[in-house]
Amino acid sequence: MNKSRPIYAPFQFDPSGARHLLVTDQPDPPADLNTNVQTLTARTHTADAILAFLPPHLATQTTGLRLYAIGSEAFVWDVNAIALAAGMGAGEVHLTRAGPLIRRVYCTHCQTMADDVATTITQCPGCGATLEVRDHFSRHHRAFMGVQVDAEAPGEIPAPEGFRS
Amino acid sequence: MRLRIAEITVLSPGIRKFTLEPLAGLLPAAGAGAHLVFDIPGATRVHKNAYSLIGGPQARTQYEIIVRRVEPSRGGSAWLHEHARIGDILEAKTPQNLFPLAHLAKKHLLLSAGIGITPFLAFARVMRTPFEWHHCSRAEDSAAFAALLPPGPQVTLHTSRNTLNLAAVLGTQPLGTHLYVCGPELFNETVQTMARALGWPESKIHTESFASAAGGAPFIVHLARSGQRLEVAADQTLLEAIEAAGIAAPYLCRGGACGACELPLLQGTPEHRDHVLSPEQRAANKSLMVCVSRARTPDLVLDF
Repeated sequence: MNKSRPIYAPFQFDPSGARHLLVTDQPDPPADLNTNVQTLTARTHTADAILAFLPPHLATQTTGLRLYAIGSEAFVWDVNAIALAAGMGAGEVHLTRAGPLIRRVYCTHCQTMADDVATTITQCPGCGATLEVRDHFSRHHRAFMGVQVDAEAPGEIPAPEGFRS
Repeated sequence: MRLRIAEITVLSPGIRKFTLEPLAGLLPAAGAGAHLVFDIPGATRVHKNAYSLIGGPQARTQYEIIVRRVEPSRGGSAWLHEHARIGDILEAKTPQNLFPLAHLAKKHLLLSAGIGITPFLAFARVMRTPFEWHHCSRAEDSAAFAALLPPGPQVTLHTSRNTLNLAAVLGTQPLGTHLYVCGPELFNETVQTMARALGWPESKIHTESFASAAGGAPFIVHLARSGQRLEVAADQTLLEAIEAAGIAAPYLCRGGACGACELPLLQGTPEHRDHVLSPEQRAANKSLMVCVSRARTPDLVLDF
């Protein structure tokens, strides 16, 4: 088991909160959602629009808010970083992984980020290296580590596969 | 370590400030929120009382503590008020800090009552983040506390029950505010209950109380490993009874906050008075914090 890999609880309404905001890069919020939860979904907002909305919105909020982020790992960790910067902490932010198994990949050679990578072997858009996407997730970079796959044996490139998690 | 009483200041009939100095050298730096546990002589035994240091980490040549005479006193605060003299030497453990400021906070909200002012006096000396402090006092102590509180619009002294609107204060804090509560048990519980009801997460509620070691019905404790049978008197804690028998038991805060004094339980049902064990752990009936907890059954048997 890879210890860098965050473990996500299934979405659950947190009754200890006084007010609730849910953001998702998926079209639909969870079924049977509590009606007290304000929601922003991909049906009305792009992920970028949600990420732009959050900082000024959170600056106006008071203690007692619960923030739920549901979506790709890149999206939920971007939301988490904004929440931390706004002063939210343990017990106030809940992250749930949902949607297609895509990853944000950080090229360890040229530091370029590639979003929406769907396979274990991918070309870095920055330096062109053929990267193996490791299961190593960096919370600092909010991305998975990508390392040149044929660094030791040039030309030996395994067949790309989809992610299993 | 040994500390000499350098100065005694009467702040009000029931409240005194003690200035303590080292016999030689400098004192260890103690972070804001730290406390000292003193050995205080008593008629029949030594009392171990914890007092917050009010000076902050810069205080290396002297420590200051403020002591309220507790009514009824089990002996510690009464001795300090009635018998302690300038020049007396007290034995104390190295300061411990179980009540530190949260460094990631965007704002600190301090709510104190009575002698609970003391850790926040140290906080106020090191504060670099915006803060708001409400202190509640009985009318007869208000002049003493007014003289101690730092000046500024962020500090409010309440001398009547009606002027502190807890729901308004707790309900309007920006995200990133950390709450610190220090006062009598009822005050601490009232504030925390209100905070939770308004959605404050546990990670942002910090509290300290040294008042919970108060007595209760006497009971018997059996120490299984040494085969000893000890009587815990009404005005004595379980930890004190063990120490009175000449046995060194683990402890740090003596206030049910740190968990250092947890001992395994073999038989009997404790009356848990600590802030450490979860409801599940209490239900498991496997251990207790001996500094504050007592017994619901006539006897307790400890694996110690």
